[in-house]
Amino acid sequence: MSVLLDVKEISKSFKLKGYWYHKRKFDALSPLSFAIEGKKTLAIVGETGSGKSTLAKILVGAETPSSGKVYLNGQLLESQRFKQRCQHVRMIFQDSGTTLNPSLTIQQLLDEPLTLNTDLDDKQRRQLIRTTLQKVGLLGDHMNFYPHMFSGGQKQRISLARAIILQPQVIILDEALAALDPSLRSQMINLLLDLQQQMGLAYILISHNLGIVRHFSDDVMVMSQGKVVESGKTIEVMRNPQHKVTQRLMMSQNFQLK
Amino acid sequence: MNLLDIRNLSIALDTPTGRVLAVDRVSLSIKEGEFRGLVGESGSGKSLLAQAIIGVLQDKWHVDADRFHWRGIDLLRLTIDERRALLCRDIAMIFQEPMSCLDPTTLIGEQLSETIDTSQLSGYFWQRRKQRKEAVIKLLHKVGIKKHSQCINSYPHQLTEAICQRVMIAIALAGRPILLIADEPTAAMESTNQGQIFRLLANLNQLKNMSILLISHDLENLTHWTSTITVMYSGQFVEAGSTEKIFNKPMHPYTRALVDSSTKANLQLPTKSRLMTLPGSIPILQHLPIGCRLGPRCPRAQQKCVSAPKVSNFHGHKVSCHYPLLRDPGKKEAVKHKTGKGIN
Repeated sequence: MSVLLDVKEISKSFKLKGYWYHKRKFDALSPLSFAIEGKKTLAIVGETGSGKSTLAKILVGAETPSSGKVYLNGQLLESQRFKQRCQHVRMIFQDSGTTLNPSLTIQQLLDEPLTLNTDLDDKQRRQLIRTTLQKVGLLGDHMNFYPHMFSGGQKQRISLARAIILQPQVIILDEALAALDPSLRSQMINLLLDLQQQMGLAYILISHNLGIVRHFSDDVMVMSQGKVVESGKTIEVMRNPQHKVTQRLMMSQNFQLK
Repeated sequence: MNLLDIRNLSIALDTPTGRVLAVDRVSLSIKEGEFRGLVGESGSGKSLLAQAIIGVLQDKWHVDADRFHWRGIDLLRLTIDERRALLCRDIAMIFQEPMSCLDPTTLIGEQLSETIDTSQLSGYFWQRRKQRKEAVIKLLHKVGIKKHSQCINSYPHQLTEAICQRVMIAIALAGRPILLIADEPTAAMESTNQGQIFRLLANLNQLKNMSILLISHDLENLTHWTSTITVMYSGQFVEAGSTEKIFNKPMHPYTRALVDSSTKANLQLPTKSRLMTLPGSIPILQHLPIGCRLGPRCPRAQQKCVSAPKVSNFHGHKVSCHYPLLRDPGKKEAVKHKTGKGIN
């Protein structure tokens, strides 16, 4: 399988307050590279402040990297061209309750990315919204509802619908499963796995929960203070953690693979 | 002796469409020195139950119970003021978000010294000030904060969340409670910090013989720490028993599904295989199913499930289900016999 998303030597640093002769900066990300294939999942684990959210923001285009390049299917993703990027790389956030606009109906919410990025007419858009809602396990008629009429699990499904409606290739899940109740979380995992098979999606999963990482991902990348300290196949890393940070993470969750 | 003994506690709310039972006849008992977990998904009424125990529910909630005993004293016969006086001496509670529960405009040291009762201090009034400060430092050491002087002189926003939670626990410990109720103390916290807080609670339980009621929405995080677990679903009692039994041999279909859906308990599953789940979503308070509230989602539901099941006890393992999952062949016959009776 060919490489879908190729990240090369990406880094990010923020300027801190200082004098012109005493410039200070904070390195949120040290140069790092990785690559993902289609239908694969890369998990990123690490503590807060380890730079995993910064990495997600750079990939989705909300931040510009200080250096480095991102290639999608061999094509360079430029930092200014959002149209190209947001068609192919989409993101789901942790708290679905606050990321959906409460004053818009689901139809209006899902219509926005379509009007901005596609040339479909009214009727086609409506049809596409209907089929996408059905794909994530909701009813087509739900499109006339407002976000507050849904439960937490359903809201997360709507965020997923918003992410997949443009037929993307990469979806970034930033703690998207953390806030869900256990029985809904496993439903969501099943749904995500099904969609991965159907649509050939690649996921980048940012999570604390090592159980989910073990089940869901093919590769894992452990980060600490902006650096990648350990990476490899999930099973191998978890069977035999080498770095102190990985060992501590696994210890704190009483997690052990035989 | 049971420290806390609650039988058939119901909490109801009056709505325009009639009275809604948010918590429906839940029983809970805590022994001395017990570390009990209370597990339930959102909307299962676990926080309501905790608030009803310490009596801080608003007036719009109607609480009634068949039995509500605290160390042999019937709390239902006491007036609300007497009850509060009794409970605030013996029970302490820590809340979900430590940052928002601490006063942001007051130093940690002041907030801590406020909670120390004068009756705990001995000596003349001019010695009190010093003693109070020493007591504060001692409390901070007890919860594992070593840099006490730095902590005393800072505001809540200057500390990390885990430290804030420790301060909350210190405040709760100031009254020397017998029972500590922890309402999701580690929600929105990192796993390394979570471990620290759980370890601290486990230490308090073992060294000080303090009973702890730990409330959480996630079964898999609790199992390592608790000795007994009570499971609730949508305001109804589901299952109670020792952690081992609940996790390894769940009898209720709901607990079974919770354990099966946990990725941590099923490490032998191949990666990316489908997880077991219950269909549907958690019912909302306005549209609760009648009878067993799991009914519409339950894989074993039958006609009988439209009436609420009675609690049956299997050697201390209590289950509230018409068709519990039993593995032992001996017990299976007993159940057959029972169901046979039901049909007749």
